[in-house]
Amino acid sequence: MAHPILEFDRGREVEFNFEGRRIRAFESESIAAALVAEGILTLGWSPKRRRPRGFFCGIGKCSSCLMTVDGVPNVRTCITPVRDGVEVRRQRPLGELPKAPPPEAKAGELDVDLLVIGGGPAGLSAAIEASRLGARVAIADENVRPGGQLIKQTHKFFGSRENYAGVRGIEIARILLRELDGLSATWLTRATVIADYAGRSHDVVVSTPEGPWRIRADAVVVSTGATENMIPFPNNDLPGVMGAGGLQTLMHVFGVVPGESALIVGAGNVGLILAYQLLQAGVDVKAIVEIMPKIGGYAVHAAKVRRMGVPILLRHTLRRAVGRERVEGAEIVRVDESFRPIEGTEERFDVDMIVLAVGLTPSTEVPRQAGAAWDYVPELGGPVPIHDPYLRTSVEGMYVAGDSSGIEEATTAMLEGRVAGAHAAAELGLRPDRAEGVIKEALRQLESFRSGPFSAKVVRGKQRVWERAREVIG
Amino acid sequence: MRRPRESYDVAVIGAGIIGCATAYYLASRGLSVAVFDRSYITSGATGRCPGGIRQQWSTEDHVRLAMKSVEIYKNLDQELGVETGYRQGGYLILAKTEREVKDFERNMRMQRSLGLPVRWLEPGEIREIVPELDVEGIGALGAAWNPTDGYADPFKVTFGYARAAERLGAEIFTFTGVERVIVEDGQARGVKTSRGVVRAEWVVNAAGAWSRLVAETAGVSLPNKPYRHEILVTEPVKPFLRPMVISFHDNVYFRQSSRGGIIGGWGDPNEKPGYNFESSPRFLITMARLLAKYIPPLRGVRVVRQWAGLYDVTPDARQITGPVRGVEGFIQVNGFSGHGFMMGPATAHLVAQFIAGEPLDLPLEPFSPDRFERGAFEGETAVVG
Ligand SMILES: Cc1cc2nc3c(=O)[nH]c(=O)nc-3n(C[C@H](O)[C@H](O)[C@H](O)COP(=O)(O)OP(=O)(O)OC[C@H]3O[C@@H](n4cnc5c(N)ncnc54)[C@H](O)[C@@H]3O)c2cc1C
Ligand SMILES: Cc1cc2nc3c(=O)[nH]c(=O)nc-3n(C[C@H](O)[C@H](O)[C@H](O)COP(=O)(O)OP(=O)(O)OC[C@H]3O[C@@H](n4cnc5c(N)ncnc54)[C@H](O)[C@@H]3O)c2cc1C
Ligand code: FES
Repeated sequence: MAHPILEFDRGREVEFNFEGRRIRAFESESIAAALVAEGILTLGWSPKRRRPRGFFCGIGKCSSCLMTVDGVPNVRTCITPVRDGVEVRRQRPLGELPKAPPPEAKAGELDVDLLVIGGGPAGLSAAIEASRLGARVAIADENVRPGGQLIKQTHKFFGSRENYAGVRGIEIARILLRELDGLSATWLTRATVIADYAGRSHDVVVSTPEGPWRIRADAVVVSTGATENMIPFPNNDLPGVMGAGGLQTLMHVFGVVPGESALIVGAGNVGLILAYQLLQAGVDVKAIVEIMPKIGGYAVHAAKVRRMGVPILLRHTLRRAVGRERVEGAEIVRVDESFRPIEGTEERFDVDMIVLAVGLTPSTEVPRQAGAAWDYVPELGGPVPIHDPYLRTSVEGMYVAGDSSGIEEATTAMLEGRVAGAHAAAELGLRPDRAEGVIKEALRQLESFRSGPFSAKVVRGKQRVWERAREVIG
Repeated sequence: MRRPRESYDVAVIGAGIIGCATAYYLASRGLSVAVFDRSYITSGATGRCPGGIRQQWSTEDHVRLAMKSVEIYKNLDQELGVETGYRQGGYLILAKTEREVKDFERNMRMQRSLGLPVRWLEPGEIREIVPELDVEGIGALGAAWNPTDGYADPFKVTFGYARAAERLGAEIFTFTGVERVIVEDGQARGVKTSRGVVRAEWVVNAAGAWSRLVAETAGVSLPNKPYRHEILVTEPVKPFLRPMVISFHDNVYFRQSSRGGIIGGWGDPNEKPGYNFESSPRFLITMARLLAKYIPPLRGVRVVRQWAGLYDVTPDARQITGPVRGVEGFIQVNGFSGHGFMMGPATAHLVAQFIAGEPLDLPLEPFSPDRFERGAFEGETAVVG
């Protein structure tokens, strides 16, 4: 079926081996997406209880897709592109030591003014601003394609006009990448930052398929995004239970729809938008369940979803996923005032997908490893590095921006990125007066964007973090 | 939170393996015991060590003590009612120089005379035990192999001791620091903690790398120095490596954990003493290279975590255990110099025997704090330092 919005440039057709089976795929696909497209939903087994595990996050953060690729164990196949003739095996449940030693690693080195960790809207914006001000910038991103969460968002964005409201997420990514293209930043794709040994400067170790890179940088911007939340319910690890972003990745990046019918958990913006996108892809969306007494997302989205015939069941939660090897159904239940299930109100849907849109948690491994002070701030999605309005953390020369500084939106991620990028450049002594203008303007836009009622919670969280920043940032 | 009582028979400072095991053996003798740790159980070196248990040492006292510990470890699951993960996978100690070959021969003769089933392996025989090891590439001339060495899980062992001690009436106060040892008329009388003064007949200094600082509060000076030791673990792969592999020459050791990760450390010869817990890129890179050199297929296996802990090092690399002159009732159990996990059970048992006035299984003399003043001591050489 043709997608109403997307055209897939799938690239060359290739063939690879999966446990003795030949699988055709497109060059642009990830191994995991190619397998799911073939109906192979069990990508591995859990180490202890050996339960089947499937595609969940699609961006390399949950490790439920680890497989052995060309003899190398524990490869995150959702962020590994297929290649002609590659050998893929599942691990039962652990991978084995390679039979033959893989080629010796090639170590790389780089010296830059600013290293941006993560190439989503926040990271791209930081890199653009800093490059414009004359900084030597490198960006490391662990995914195959740059753009972070944007590259899977087909809907037109809300937000302010200056920040691409009305433009589709995928299009925003293209605009930012084009802008960056004209500047001289160094890109490292499939490059996972594993540690920042912050001292007088930053000594960052990056893992790439060819080997480790060591990057010395005066400043770093951490814009590593977020991880999708999981909630506890029986069988929550069955293949077919997916994160909303994971499913979006499959559908919108790879053009793979891994089922025919779905139940969505969570009626925030993400859940609502996803319902609409699933319908666009021809999936039968049975319902959205939401444990709270009211819808969290925007009314326009909810109205649209309802118009298309999807019930939004408030005060309902998922009881359990049904199935043995994969999702065959979902049992839901009504809850009382204190969110306890009301016996006798169970209802079962026959679905082959359960999609969790239950929030995100900031990805803060790098700043925490580097020793940045942090706090648990529920309004911002969980643990966040303490940062000031300029996005400085307590580690000298380390900034955070975007979802990794607190779950918000692409618009604010871009603005925060610009502030962080410009501030870092100014601290390096690069055109501080111009930087000041950029920072002022971005901060003004941030404030105006956050003045709406939907941002009240985030603002509360941010204010608490800024207050703490006065204590911990010198 | 529970408050300590006014007085106990014994106050133990530190809730690592030493403090917890000592509390257990004391409580099983009917003594009332309070353990104080300024942090949590296993927060010190114990929770950072890979749990290696070896009996191949260069000094007889060490071999005897380690063999005694192994006797205890063998039955520990039953005794404590927990699964400690104890396994006898053996220790393969590689010799890389002629000098090492000679030293190992001498050591093995001594070890065998004490009943240890250690034997020499030619390079070809090493491959039979660990086929993945690149014996030629690393230039091993042979190895000392003792199949009864092994490892256990430091968390399970220590919490096992702690919970068993509590069942016998011992009390463990975590997040309760000891500010000083109370000494009156040359006699230890208790401790001043962050939650008040606690009187005790005996005070046991099991504060690991901080023991020197604790001793100072009683006017006792110990020669111990803290040295950082770094360690890492890889992602899990299917079990293939049973023994712990060591080279004193390369200052490196590694084994495979029961979950499948390769866990190993390298001692940086340039390390300066100090309370330093930072992880360094130098260690990460050196250790990763060493692992890939020893077992080349490990090039395809990623490191997932690195951390650091402190060795509490004495001038002869042997522990300090027993009473000190000048402050009666103040017992030192520290200075383990990187092997306190394996020596822990036997040592703790001896300390309990000593305090309870029972005959000792092994003499404590060789580990006396006074030996440094006397000047005559034999240094342990079989160490990754
Ligand atoms: C369904 C859905 C709908 C949305 N709709 C809107 C909307 O309409 N309007 C709006 O403003 N926002 C929307 N958002 C939110 C928006 O997408 C995010 O807030 C935004 O993408 C966050 O940007 P970021 O740059 O912080 O992180 P991300 O876009 O998540 O990018 C992070 C990048 O970092 C990389 N990375 C992570 N860790 C490492 C590492 N250790 N080393 C190297 N690279 C790493 C990742 O691969 C990723 O590319 C939506 C989100 C979802 C899920
Ligand atoms: C990287 C590494 C690898 C190692 N490998 C091995 C090995 O393979 N085999 C082996 O046998 N040994 C090994 N060791 C050594 C071993 O870990 C230690 O010798 C052993 O754990 C010491 O135990 P402990 O109880 O004496 O000290 P610790 O575990 O350090 O406990 C001391 C405790 O005292 C507490 N404390 C300190 N000061 C105070 C105070 N003032 N008041 C209250 N509490 C206080 C601390 O919080 C701490 O919890 C290794 C050590 C390291 C660091
Ligand atoms: S890491 Fe691949 S699906 Fe989550």
